Amino acid sequence: MVNLENQIFSSYQRNPVLFDEIFDQEGQVKEVYSKLFELYGGHSISEYVNLNEKAKSSFFNQGITFQVYDKKKTKEKIFPFDLFPRIIPPEEWEIIESGCIQRSKALNLFLWDVYHDKNIIKEGIVPMDLISSSANYLDQMVNLDPPGGIYNHISGTDVIKHSDGQYYVLEDNIRCPSGVSYVICNRTALKRALFGVFDHYKTYSVTNYAENLLDLLETVKPKGVDVPNVVVITPGMYNSAFYEHSYLAKTMGVELVEGRDLFVENDFVYMKTIKGPQKVDVIYRRIDDAFIDPLEFNPDSALGVPGLFAAYKKGNVTLANAPGTGVADDKAIYTYMPEIIKYYLNEEPILNNVKTYHCSRPKELRYVLNNIKNLVIKPVDEAGGYGISIGNRLSDKEIEVVKAEILLSPRKYVAQPIMSLSVHPTYIDETESFEQRHVDLRVFTVLGKDKEFVLKGGLTRVALKRGNLIVNSSQGGGSKDTWVLKT
Amino acid sequence: MSLEYSITYKAENTYEESVLEAYWQFLIIPEENDSQQFISIDFNNSLNAKTEFSINGYGFKTIRVHPKSEFKHIAFEANFKLIKKEINPFDFEPEADVLKSFQKLQELDFKVDHNTFLKTTDYTRLPEESKNLFIFDTTQSIFENLQSLNNFIHHYIKFNTEATDVFTKLNELLNIRQGVCQDFTHLFCAFARLNGIPARYVSGYLHQDNGYFGDAQMHAWAEAYVPFVGWIGFDVTNDILAGTSHIKIADGKDYKDCSALKGVVYSTGNNETVHSVVVSSQSQQ
Amino acid sequence: MLARVANNLFWMGRYIERSEHIARYLRVNYFSSLDAPNQISQSRQFVLRSMLTLVGDPAADEEEELNETEVLYKIGLDPNYSSSILNNVRNSRENANSARDLISTELYESINKFYHFIANYDADVYTKNGLDDFTRNVTEMSAILRGKVRSTLMHDEIYAIIMMGANIERATQVMRIISSKYNDALKAQGSYGDKFKNSFEWTTLLKCTESYDMMRRHYKKTPTSISTLEFLILNPDCPRSIMNSLNQICKHIKILDTKKKHDRDSTSFLVGKVRAEYEFKSMVDIESDIQLIINNTLTHLYEISQKMEKEFFSY
Repeated sequence: MVNLENQIFSSYQRNPVLFDEIFDQEGQVKEVYSKLFELYGGHSISEYVNLNEKAKSSFFNQGITFQVYDKKKTKEKIFPFDLFPRIIPPEEWEIIESGCIQRSKALNLFLWDVYHDKNIIKEGIVPMDLISSSANYLDQMVNLDPPGGIYNHISGTDVIKHSDGQYYVLEDNIRCPSGVSYVICNRTALKRALFGVFDHYKTYSVTNYAENLLDLLETVKPKGVDVPNVVVITPGMYNSAFYEHSYLAKTMGVELVEGRDLFVENDFVYMKTIKGPQKVDVIYRRIDDAFIDPLEFNPDSALGVPGLFAAYKKGNVTLANAPGTGVADDKAIYTYMPEIIKYYLNEEPILNNVKTYHCSRPKELRYVLNNIKNLVIKPVDEAGGYGISIGNRLSDKEIEVVKAEILLSPRKYVAQPIMSLSVHPTYIDETESFEQRHVDLRVFTVLGKDKEFVLKGGLTRVALKRGNLIVNSSQGGGSKDTWVLKT
Repeated sequence: MSLEYSITYKAENTYEESVLEAYWQFLIIPEENDSQQFISIDFNNSLNAKTEFSINGYGFKTIRVHPKSEFKHIAFEANFKLIKKEINPFDFEPEADVLKSFQKLQELDFKVDHNTFLKTTDYTRLPEESKNLFIFDTTQSIFENLQSLNNFIHHYIKFNTEATDVFTKLNELLNIRQGVCQDFTHLFCAFARLNGIPARYVSGYLHQDNGYFGDAQMHAWAEAYVPFVGWIGFDVTNDILAGTSHIKIADGKDYKDCSALKGVVYSTGNNETVHSVVVSSQSQQ
Repeated sequence: MLARVANNLFWMGRYIERSEHIARYLRVNYFSSLDAPNQISQSRQFVLRSMLTLVGDPAADEEEELNETEVLYKIGLDPNYSSSILNNVRNSRENANSARDLISTELYESINKFYHFIANYDADVYTKNGLDDFTRNVTEMSAILRGKVRSTLMHDEIYAIIMMGANIERATQVMRIISSKYNDALKAQGSYGDKFKNSFEWTTLLKCTESYDMMRRHYKKTPTSISTLEFLILNPDCPRSIMNSLNQICKHIKILDTKKKHDRDSTSFLVGKVRAEYEFKSMVDIESDIQLIINNTLTHLYEISQKMEKEFFSY
């Protein structure tokens, strides 16, 4: 039984089918959470409501907001934040960290291979059509050697805990993964609101991300550059992740530029400053491949820099992440991750992969169509939780629609068993109480030349709608501060 | 024996409203290869804007122009002088074993190595109902099949400079059955790739003295990879093999990879572009 | 520093300064008129027209009856009027947004709070009885921002750019206020023997620029046209005077342009030239043609701003 003397947990309803991060099967608070449970339990509901409001206004006043457009005017909203932190014990973190490094390295080797000799395909381990029919495979990247041999400098690995208590990877995001600024803001907000709770736990700091990122970006500078000039490029202040872009530039102490601030001359990149042009060597880019250079890719892009790709091809500038990394975060490639890890690293995967069915294979397609109610259907090339259908949530009519779509373009879809994401007590405004909500964890890994870094924390995302499994902020998700405990 | 070619490329852009900023990238410089050798490159523009030589994403030479003041009109002129070796396109040893060649096409290594030029693109997508329009004869060599394909398309599509534009896709082309060199070339590439033969779109200049089809602009033809032989050029518009009259600039999956002029222009209102190409030659010892 | 971002910071400084001056002008004119000594100065229509003139949007038809609520709303909170206080504050925040990585967190948070205060201000309350509260908050929050600029930023190029913007705008606004009140004084003369020289409008003018107390202490006499203009244009010790702003502009351009000898075409050269002109001006020069001085000053300030744009903000 849950200890109900604890005021703010008095109405907490525990569904025994779900894996609860803080209560065990018997309803007892797990050892690692016991102190935290006690501390939070010491607050009355009204105190807690008050703290919650303070945390919200802290985000609002700092301008850590995104814009929502309704019929009349644009509104600014904060990314919902929950004051009750998630704790990851050291022995679990060890697995996550080494697993994420392993995946990032394997993906980097995979990218090098598919843009050079393509051995993994010639040996029949990964099918050719995964690269030949992927919209994210860039022919321009073939035989191009990125500085330092690194493609996916920054990876965001989405990890969940299943009802078996094991960690599984759901997705590898290696295009422009976002969210790292929230990790740091969440920590700041929690410290401001409830600084006392930190006295009882030894938690790793998360503020060292920017310095490590800069450090690793400097290892992949172009040849012949002594001290590289690093910049962050953003689509601009109306982009939903602009706060993050400015945060990263500010904390790295580098310029935040837009495409129009840069120009290319004689295949070198320069930024326009008040003292004239200044050469740029490493660009951490937060704009998509298609928009980086209108002369090479999407000609309508006003966000990019004409001639940038030629400068990159000549080795005069580093782009992080490299163009064309999207081919490897395709959800169809995901399913080959165990094989990819074995092939390049000769290691067993440290983190589990979710079993995946390829609709492009007739046998698996048949299985998917027959078992659609027990599966999650995902388009292979969409990010941000768009286009996902969860079988047991669909009406019969909706199922027919999804089936028709799959049959129309089977290559576009994969299916996975419905994974039961673990749940975590989360404060819900409407009911003024704690309720179980599904959570995942985005882990940020940075690869440099012969060096890597994993941020000890990560972004715990919460699906705020009851029973919802999709945690993306674009789909109404929130987040929690995440504590990785020191041993 | 070789030919000395002199090529003059001209383009003129006129804008209704002043252009505040512009970038252009020209893909018009002949490729340097075994049969093409440079004497000189000369490029000017009417604004005297700075000109840079660079490369595009596929490594072909480009010329980039970025004027720094406002304008409404700009003219470009390029002059290339090069020596083209006399080519006999039939001068190769075909693989005698027809079956062996067709088997080669099925090998995974072959498919992976030529992945880029086996892909279907927007310009080379055949409508389902047209896929049987031309069927390969496996009793004949791949080269003979490609020659038949060359001949088939040449007769199936009527040359007409008014019928299509740079956006025309195959479904429309097969409907109207009229078009220009790039349409002929796209159709050829589509059928070659459909049959597992790597094929690429080639942009270049054509010396028209021999009465070949083309217009006073750039020309396009296809190159197909014949196993155990290599790349062979097929000028589909003229139903011939590419030879001494064909001066190659660049190749790619389709027209999009090879367009002669790309521009990013910040201006409002209409604009007009006029191109012209003149190719002349003289024999050399 | 990026040229584009420098431009945004320059304008951030200008918009903050502009909001403050407009807000104070509204408040001072409105409340001074309530117990003004003559009928014209007391006329609400006269005051509303004066407000519209200041924001550069004078009522076209002299006979037209202006609606108080509409005029106050337009200048204060109308999102569709580009020169409203709301839009000035919004613009300054947008500019700050684009330079978020360069300015201090403290400064950004204050601008952000300022914007949210204005954006959430109830328009009905403001036009019915909130004018004093609204405008007082605007001027006070601007003062806080001025403090944050001075105390939370390095006094380097970034600071210099913001200060250039703020001082060019301050001089411009003070000159526009002088122009507006000068015209009011011309119109108001004649009734009850009120002469231009001793017009009540000079007191209002000083209050609009927060200089009344300083002026009284300095001259120890009721303000006249001459003493007021001398104080606001030529007195280098008055922090709101044109001379003071020009000195500030001159000081900060030197941080941006460190050359000893200045190119004749540089901003620095122009600033120095304009400053020298005012330094050696006397009241006799001003008195002879006030309107000319007003126009020339505004032209000079505009030219300085244009030169800066060319020299620093574009490539």
